[in-house]
Amino acid sequence: MTDLALPLKAEDAPPDHDRLVLAGLLSLPTLFLVTLCLIPLFLLLQLSFAHRGTGGLWSPGLELTQYAQLLTPQFLKVALFSFSLALTTAVISVALAFPVAYFISRMKRRAQIAWLVGLLSTLSLSEVLIVFSFQVLLSGSGGLVKALVALGVMASPHSLYPNFAAVMVCLVYLVLPYIILFLYPAMSQLDDDIPAAATTMGASPARAFLTVVAPMVKGPLLSAGLLVVIFTVGSYLTPLVLGRPQQWTVGIIISNAAMTTGNMPLAAAQAVALVSLMAGLLGLVRLLTKGGSPAS
Amino acid sequence: MFGLEISNVTKAFGAHVAVDDVSMSIPQGEFVCFLGPSGCGKTTLMRMVAGLESPGEGAIALNGRDITRQPANVRKFGMVFQSLALFPHLSVGENIAFSLRLQGQDGRQRKARVEELLTLVRLPGMEKRAVSQLSGGQRQRVAIARALAQEPPVFLLDEPFSALDAKLREEMQIELRLLQKRLKITTILVTHDQREAMSMADSIAVMGDGKIQQYGSPLSIYRAPANRFVANFVGLSNLLPVEVLDADTVRFGANILKVAPMPAPTLSTQATLSIRPEDIQLTAANAPGDNTVSGRITFIRDMGSSVEVHLDCDGRDVLSVVQPRDWIGAGTGDVAHLRLPQNQCRVLAA
Repeated sequence: MTDLALPLKAEDAPPDHDRLVLAGLLSLPTLFLVTLCLIPLFLLLQLSFAHRGTGGLWSPGLELTQYAQLLTPQFLKVALFSFSLALTTAVISVALAFPVAYFISRMKRRAQIAWLVGLLSTLSLSEVLIVFSFQVLLSGSGGLVKALVALGVMASPHSLYPNFAAVMVCLVYLVLPYIILFLYPAMSQLDDDIPAAATTMGASPARAFLTVVAPMVKGPLLSAGLLVVIFTVGSYLTPLVLGRPQQWTVGIIISNAAMTTGNMPLAAAQAVALVSLMAGLLGLVRLLTKGGSPAS
Repeated sequence: MFGLEISNVTKAFGAHVAVDDVSMSIPQGEFVCFLGPSGCGKTTLMRMVAGLESPGEGAIALNGRDITRQPANVRKFGMVFQSLALFPHLSVGENIAFSLRLQGQDGRQRKARVEELLTLVRLPGMEKRAVSQLSGGQRQRVAIARALAQEPPVFLLDEPFSALDAKLREEMQIELRLLQKRLKITTILVTHDQREAMSMADSIAVMGDGKIQQYGSPLSIYRAPANRFVANFVGLSNLLPVEVLDADTVRFGANILKVAPMPAPTLSTQATLSIRPEDIQLTAANAPGDNTVSGRITFIRDMGSSVEVHLDCDGRDVLSVVQPRDWIGAGTGDVAHLRLPQNQCRVLAA
């Protein structure tokens, strides 16, 4: 072996020491993943096959009784509603967040920082606080209703909730800062010369946007939408507080099964169904955007 | 007239005037460089020509027709951007065919034109490649081919070679110049590299502070810089403070020097004498004759192909670049005599 070959070899295969450091660094997140995610998931799975006893108790078993109950029209209807709610929220919030993220990324550095810090600070408000604030805001004696009556838009004061719109508005409000922050890096990477180049080749600004900009941001927008679906498909508090029973989601049904009915195995089976549905959706999106999912 | 006419164009961004009352005409088929330091307004001027920015004041006309208010997508001046701005989601062929598709050409026509352009930029058979698979020089060529696909009336390039290494840059410069001569297309290239401008352009517009400082052939700008800014920016110049005595005589310290005749001399005023380092001749002995200044050698740099000699003349640093065969072989601290040929001494306003 010549001397020249030595450094090359060192680069190709890191020495044992480096490998140990790498293993040490990776072991911590792995530990977190196993203890905080995989073990609870396994327990949930085990519980979903358990035999239901009386008075909220259960005994270990391997039966499919609870899974059979998932196929009832009531549960399927709620599951379908949860998904359409999540999907609608995703479409609305991404449609709103996309231009906002784009304009923030085109601002001066200082203004960008101010906006990003502002958005980040809204994340410090808890979901509970926001949902109950919406309840106050939309109530018959709330400020919004008073303003609408004063402006003559509303004839007499009445509460603006519970209904689908109230649930929708609150969910969009909850996810919007996340989605703007999620889309911001992708938008900052977008080169302004690209649409400009398209216009010098004869494309109108609208056409340049559709043929050049849109395909380039397709990946990040899809990932953002998926993120919203994951966030909202299991939503619990918002539909419970601001919705009618028709707007109840799988989250509320699971809670009812566990807390009201005391049927823990059923709640577990419903949760497993929700998780597997999400996993399936993730896999599908990955398949659709294979090779081209930046930012995700 | 045929060609591009820029009349009194001004563009301000807030309080900052990027382009300040610029007028120039570019004859059909000419290759013009906008040369200047960063922030001098050269890119803004080019973007106004392309239609990507609208002038605050002034007018732009092509072949006698006013196009000031015409949007970029109607002008269709082919442009190569500094970032190249290739569409990453499209293949090489689709990038080049972008404008052809917008024109509504059918697949066969597009394919034929793409093949023709790829041959022109010496990348035959690359149409199926992804942009990400190309090297820097190849991307450059694709960007040029894409901008030429629509047969633009004016071809614009904004610092197109700045990302390439020195060797590739020179190759691309030569290639682009040959291509431009073959196609006889009116071309504007923006650059801060004076070597690039000197080697490619028919005419150079030297820009500084949003204004055109001088517009002319590369050689006329190099030989006769119009002012201090141009003398400093284009090549190296010795700039010496002098007092004007008459139309072709100045005083530098205790020396009386003959200079190229000034068209409108202002007598007994302070001015600047500009002379290129390679025009100064060094002699060991004080030969009789006009226009010599003596100085002490402070620093010598022998580059092999030339010798750079710094001298202290009357407290001023003067640089002389001599050919090895003319080098007198003196050392640091020696006194040498500098002969300043009269026609190479130009007096600029102080």
